[in-house]
Amino acid sequence: MKTFLMVMAYVILAPLAGAVLSGLDRKLTARMQARVGPPVLQPLYDVLKLLQKENLVVRRSQNFYVMFFLIFIIFTGGLFFAGKDLLIVIFALTLAEIFFVLGGYKASSPYSIIGSQRAMIQMMAYEPVIILSAVGMYMVTRSFYITDIVSFGKPLFYYLPGILVTFIYILAMKFSKSPFDLAYSHHGHQELVKGMTTEFSGRALAMIEVAHWYENILMLAFVWLFFSNNIFTGAALTLGVYFFTILVDNSFARVRWEMALISSWLVWLLFGVGNIIFLFFVLR
Amino acid sequence: MPYLKRSPWIIHYDGTSCNGCDIEVLASLTPKYDVERLGVINTGNPKHADILLITGCINDQNREVVQNIYEQMPDPKVVIAVGICAGSGGIFWNCYNVLGGVNKVLPVDVYVPGCAARPESIIDGVVKSLKILENKKHKLVAMSSGEESLTIEMADIEDAVEILSLQKLTYQSEAELYNDYTMPPLTETLDELKEDFKTITFFKAVMNGVIIGSVRGMVKDGTCYIYRRIVHPMYQNLGIGKKLMNHIESYFGSASRFEVITGHKSKRNINFYQRLGYKMFKCEKINDKRHRVYLEKLNDKDVK
Repeated sequence: MKTFLMVMAYVILAPLAGAVLSGLDRKLTARMQARVGPPVLQPLYDVLKLLQKENLVVRRSQNFYVMFFLIFIIFTGGLFFAGKDLLIVIFALTLAEIFFVLGGYKASSPYSIIGSQRAMIQMMAYEPVIILSAVGMYMVTRSFYITDIVSFGKPLFYYLPGILVTFIYILAMKFSKSPFDLAYSHHGHQELVKGMTTEFSGRALAMIEVAHWYENILMLAFVWLFFSNNIFTGAALTLGVYFFTILVDNSFARVRWEMALISSWLVWLLFGVGNIIFLFFVLR
Repeated sequence: MPYLKRSPWIIHYDGTSCNGCDIEVLASLTPKYDVERLGVINTGNPKHADILLITGCINDQNREVVQNIYEQMPDPKVVIAVGICAGSGGIFWNCYNVLGGVNKVLPVDVYVPGCAARPESIIDGVVKSLKILENKKHKLVAMSSGEESLTIEMADIEDAVEILSLQKLTYQSEAELYNDYTMPPLTETLDELKEDFKTITFFKAVMNGVIIGSVRGMVKDGTCYIYRRIVHPMYQNLGIGKKLMNHIESYFGSASRFEVITGHKSKRNINFYQRLGYKMFKCEKINDKRHRVYLEKLNDKDVK
């Protein structure tokens, strides 16, 4: 029953929390640039507006892929909040991302195809980090089940500081923020127009936005696992990490894709694998 | 709920602007003016945009680009002409290489005057366009919900704006067919259309307060000339064109002969007129792209 409530809470509350977080992000970004900024509920208004717009498509099937992107993101979050296996969560999340990339390819515009290619490069950069996090959490708690990881008792980041650093490093990719907003930027940047979302409009674009809200909440929940011994300090530290990504977003320019790929591999090889090797000798 | 006016996303296109207005458009985004507090985002992508903001005038090279951007924007959408160049052509008015303001190719909703237009007035223009955007949405909803309230009546000069924008929308498909974007229905200006009201009788098909079709005609030497039968693309194949033809034919019932014109590639139009009893009698070459086809029908009611 508790599991069911958790999943329902995620399905219903995550888009609202995601919208508010993204609104806070825009407000904070505006304040950092000495602007007033939009209302906190602005992302919600944007999506409600998109629902009223005409849905133009290049090919009808592109909306089909976006629908599956949304469904699989919700499915992944449901698995996570039901306390299931962390590995299956990671693979379901990858599947969801692949559907989005396929949607970008299907739209067959040069912009969305470049965006999709870059999204795949980003996946090459961050997927190892997410898997390493699961491995690290397994080595500490001896379980891949999220229920077991949460009830471990001691804060995981004592054991996994290197992995936490790498995870925060790739968060910019998952949140599509600078310096790694290569595939799709959540700001109104114009260099690549809007990357993967270029050819989507109306309801399909609204679905992409809502899926991103779900995904952001899921990624923050993943960060929370590192601090999960106490629910309140954990939530505070997770929001701190979110604030840090916003600060980085406003402090750095976008990097080239080579830089994004090589630097994230260097970081996870150094801190992530270093952390795992250290744990191997300490916990044996 | 009025969410459209809470999140207007803009695409900015620089026609032949000297960059004066462009700089001011970008200045609206800076901390001093900060249009994002109104929810405005400069998207740079027509498929995400609600407002097309054009600076500079229209010439032969950017005409197709502007039209293309407009067509790629999802409905409802509005067009804002920023600066006097976009409004009327400004100092380039009547230049050999310039067609004129944005209204030569697109239905413009808001004009922002100025050389260069100040950021304050640009923001004012955007805010003004939001009401129009909401109105357009209501019209779109009204047009797709009720079909029984269609009335056909004579139009007066106050309908000229609406008829002109409908004409430009409807003739897009014809222009595409002939790959000729300079055909008179598309380049006609509001003043020219208003001038026509003196000699030509206009009829409009109104559905829930919105003009969705129109036809015009005049009698000369016993022949009734019928021009520009237009029906909104969303309402074609619903018999509205036929109703318009019946209406204008009975209005000019005293004429002994009716004459219509269409293009040689517009097979559907020719079929339509032939079904109404018209017969082709003349075909004349206008330019390399287009032949004009003349069809006539004798008024048999007169014979009875």
